[in-house]
Parts: sequence; structure tokens; C-alpha cells
Amino acid sequence: MLILKNLLRRRTRTILSLLGIAIGIAAIIAFNAVARGFKASLDRYMHSSGAEMLVVNRAAMAPEYSRITKEEIDAVAAVPGIEHVSPGTFTIIAGRVLQKVKSGTKLKFLTVFGRVPGDRLVEKFRPGLDGRLMQAEDELILGSDAARDLELKRDDTLTLLNRTFKIVGIYQSDIKFESAGCVVPSSTVQQELKMGNSIGLAFLYLKPGADWKKIRDSIEERVPNVAAIQTSGFTQYYNQLDYIDWFVWIVSLVSVIVGGLGVLNTMLMAVSERTREIGTLRAVGWSRGQVLRMILSEGMVISVVGGALGLLIGAFGAETLIQWAPRGLDTRYSVLLFVQSFGIALALGFFGALYPAYQASRLSPIEALKYE
Amino acid sequence: MSDAAIRTVDLVKRYEGASITALAGVSIEVERGSFLCIMGPSGSGKSTFLNLVGALDTPTSGEVILNGRPLSKERNLDAVRAREVGFIFQLHNLIPTLTSIENVEIPMMAVGVPRRERRQRAVELLGQVGLSHRLSSVATRLSGGERQRVSIARALANKPALILGDEPTGDVDSKTGDQIMACIQEARKQSGATLVVVTHNPDVAKGADRMLHMRDGVLQ
Repeated sequence: MLILKNLLRRRTRTILSLLGIAIGIAAIIAFNAVARGFKASLDRYMHSSGAEMLVVNRAAMAPEYSRITKEEIDAVAAVPGIEHVSPGTFTIIAGRVLQKVKSGTKLKFLTVFGRVPGDRLVEKFRPGLDGRLMQAEDELILGSDAARDLELKRDDTLTLLNRTFKIVGIYQSDIKFESAGCVVPSSTVQQELKMGNSIGLAFLYLKPGADWKKIRDSIEERVPNVAAIQTSGFTQYYNQLDYIDWFVWIVSLVSVIVGGLGVLNTMLMAVSERTREIGTLRAVGWSRGQVLRMILSEGMVISVVGGALGLLIGAFGAETLIQWAPRGLDTRYSVLLFVQSFGIALALGFFGALYPAYQASRLSPIEALKYE
Repeated sequence: MSDAAIRTVDLVKRYEGASITALAGVSIEVERGSFLCIMGPSGSGKSTFLNLVGALDTPTSGEVILNGRPLSKERNLDAVRAREVGFIFQLHNLIPTLTSIENVEIPMMAVGVPRRERRQRAVELLGQVGLSHRLSSVATRLSGGERQRVSIARALANKPALILGDEPTGDVDSKTGDQIMACIQEARKQSGATLVVVTHNPDVAKGADRMLHMRDGVLQ
């Protein structure tokens, strides 16, 4: 009764501090959803290859810097338990150098996957393909998002990597950065990037019943230059992705601190304005604990409502922003993220109101009643 | 002596590093169920006396004995105020956003009276002070006299043995002041509580069983 009335009597201030919490929580949700969406896209991409393992250059900090020589790949392929090796290269072309790109397009870059024609990594694009898979050196298949943004269709041409390719097929993919990319013969990428006979990474398909750990040990013993990892562990292996997490949490923390200060300010002002009332409550027998609980509860109500609102704004905001963002970004939510964020909101309400509540509970009834 | 509702023994209160003496040794007994009026000018120490007797403040030295129990031995003065004392302030001190009923419920919340019982008792008490028609009015919409009646009902909420009034008619005109005193007197008669009122208004003293004057922290 008292708690809600106290909050409603200063409606604007309550709403503002509630929004402070909501925006802080929304920032956590939105940033995390996009960061996790990016990681989830990578994981799905790896999974979609159908390969259990991949090898990359051990020294490369990120997969785009990885180089593995043909001799090393041959040595890897000779390891018992490996059924098939699919070599891969990739590069990223800035959207501005692509033909027909209109200003304001969401396609800021085109991911170019170098694949061997006829290989499994190319065959996976067959379902839903409009046209056929590439076979010759001057053919490519284009993702549907890239095709839409570049206003290209089957049998058109696209110039990239100093060559003009014929688009022989448009493929569908639910992995955003793959759908905003294209697949060209690996040899073209190797030539243009002056990679010689090296490739970037290789996907390994294991024989049924093969133990991936034994294969990993065997590969790393024979070819010390490479690291063999499970495709499902890709995002864990490249721990620079953790920097994204840290960045996200740091930005979120700043938003959250601002929200917490909002609650602190609101509750401090509320206590100051209601000094005389608190004196009255104490005079008619309310204990320090009861006054403390009342002020804390007011902070908690702000945080519960603000937190719930923040979850909604965060999810809705991320989905809206992703429509405006460059192609290739995706979102991913988890129950844990919602629970963590709501927990942070509750903690904000509690700690933001704790000091004002303590101040209120320490007021002497006599002094408070005299307060003008 | 055993029937004294209040007994004070050499009650002294000093403020601000002991440079101001508000009460300079007050010893008094107040008979249970009686009406004591203490008159005196502003700053004479009468409010300080009331605050000490009502367990709102603690004395520098001396003792307050309420219903035979020394307050210095009480571990929980909040509970004493909640259960044994009903305050009526000059400025009524109602919570402005709450209705009459809710304001009367406030002391009952302190002692954990269940909601339904609280509401029922608040309605009864407001009826007793003639405010049955103003039960759901927010405090800010009440007249000065009505607000003071709500504060009388609030003072009676936990059936206290002691009602303390600090200039209860100080903020209203004389006609309303008479009505308020009549209301307080009636409430005292019905509840059998002891009533101590401090005032500088001689009209308030009408009907008191005993009247004392206070000057410079001393009862005369």
C-alpha cells in the first residue's frame, strides 16, 4: 500500500529511474544477443560442414591468418581414422569495391569462401539451390542475401579478385554471414592472395568410430605446425572471441551503473523529502527494520518493473537493430542471459536503495519530526 | 503509587553539548485514566517532557516509569511507542498520499495486525471521531479539523494506555479546537487511557483533572 503510493506520488521520477534500469538491462540483452548470435552463427557454420574436426595453423591468431602448406595437408590426410579432407580458403571483400552496390546497402562486405568444386563443402549448398554448383574456374555461387543486396541473379556476372565470374547458382543458408557471401573455386583465392599451394584451413571427416582425441594427438605429432580441433569447439579455440564478450560486458556494466545511480538518486531524494513522514512512522512505533524494508522494497519494485521492461526492450531492440545492421549479424538468446540480466536488475534495485534505506532507518524520530 | 500510569524521577534533558537544559529535574506522578494538562510558553520544555514520556527520546539523566516499568530497562522503545503510546501532534503529521483509513492503519502495521482486522478497526475509530463519511478521502483533501480527527483515530489504533497530545489544537481555529478537545476527551473516556496534553492555550485545560505549569524546564 505505502510502497506503491510512495512510488506513484513522484511518478516522473519513478518512471525515469525505472527507465534507467530498463535501458541498462536492455543494453545487456541486446549486446549479448548480437555477440552470442555471432558466435552461434560460427558454430552453426562449422556444424553445417558435416566435418567433425578441422586443422588450422597453430600460430595464427584468427582463422583468416591461417596458412597450411600442401605437404602439411597431405601429412594430415595420411593420419589413420581420417576419411576425407576438405581444404578451404576464405577472404573478405569490402562491399565498396563490388559492382552495382547502391549507397545505403546493408552489404558492407562479401565473405568469399574458396572451395574445391565437387567437394562436400560445395555439395552442401545443393538443397534449395537456384541453378547449379560451380565447376569451372570462372564460376561462383552466390548467397541469397548477397544476391538481393547486389541486385544480381543467376547467369549475371560479378567481378571480384580481379576476375569476372559467372553466377551459376544462388544458394540459401540460414547462417547470416554465409548467406551474405559467395563460394568460388579455391584455386582462384590461392592465386589472388598469392598463397601458392597453401590453404587456410581444412575440414576433416572421420571414419565411423574414430576417436577424435587420438587423431588430434596423431596430427599434432606429425605436423607440429597445425592445431587440430573439433568443429564444435571452434569458438572456444579462438579465444579472441572472448574479447567480444568482455567488451559487451564492459559496455553493459557502464549502462548498469548509470541505472543503479538513477535508483540511488531517486531513493535518496525520496528519503530526504519524506524525512518528516519517516519520523511519523517511527513515532507511531515502526522499527528501524520496518523503515529499512519499506525503502528497500520501493527500490526493488523499481528494479523488478524496470528489469522486466528492459528484457522486453532489449530483445525487441536487438531484433529491430539487426534489421538495420550490416548483413551477416545474427542474434541469439538464452534463458540464462534473461535470468542473469534480471538478477542484475534486482541487484541494482537492492544496492541502489540500500544506502538511502539505511539513512532512513537511522533517522531519529525527534529530529525527523522537526524536519521542515 | 502503584496506580500511577506515568512516574518520572528527576528527569533531566540537556541538548547541544549540555549547554541547553530543556528539562531541569522533573518528578511527577500521573494517575491512571486521568487528564493532565501542562501549560507553558514556547521553549519551556513541555514538548521535551512529552517526548521523553512517550519514549520518542531518552533523558540525559533520571527515569521515566510507564505503567510500573522503567523505560531505561526497555530494550525495544519502538514497541513501547507502538503498543502503549498514542501521539497527537500539532501538525497532525498524516501521510499525505494515504486515505484516512490507511493513515489510521499505520500504527497497526507496526505491530503486525492482520489487514482485515486493521481495516475494521480503522473504520470503527474513524466513526468514533465522526469521520465515517471521509474514510477513503486522501489526507490532503481533508480540512485541518478533519486531519486532526484522523490523527486522534490513529493515536487510538493500538488501544494505548497513554495518549499524548502536543498542542493538538495549535493549528486550528478556536471553535474547531474545542471540537477536537471534546473528541479527544470522549476517546479517553471510552478507552480509559491516561491523557497528557501540553499546550499554551488555556481553553485546552478546561476539563483537565490536573493542570501544571512549566517554565524553564521545571514544573510549577
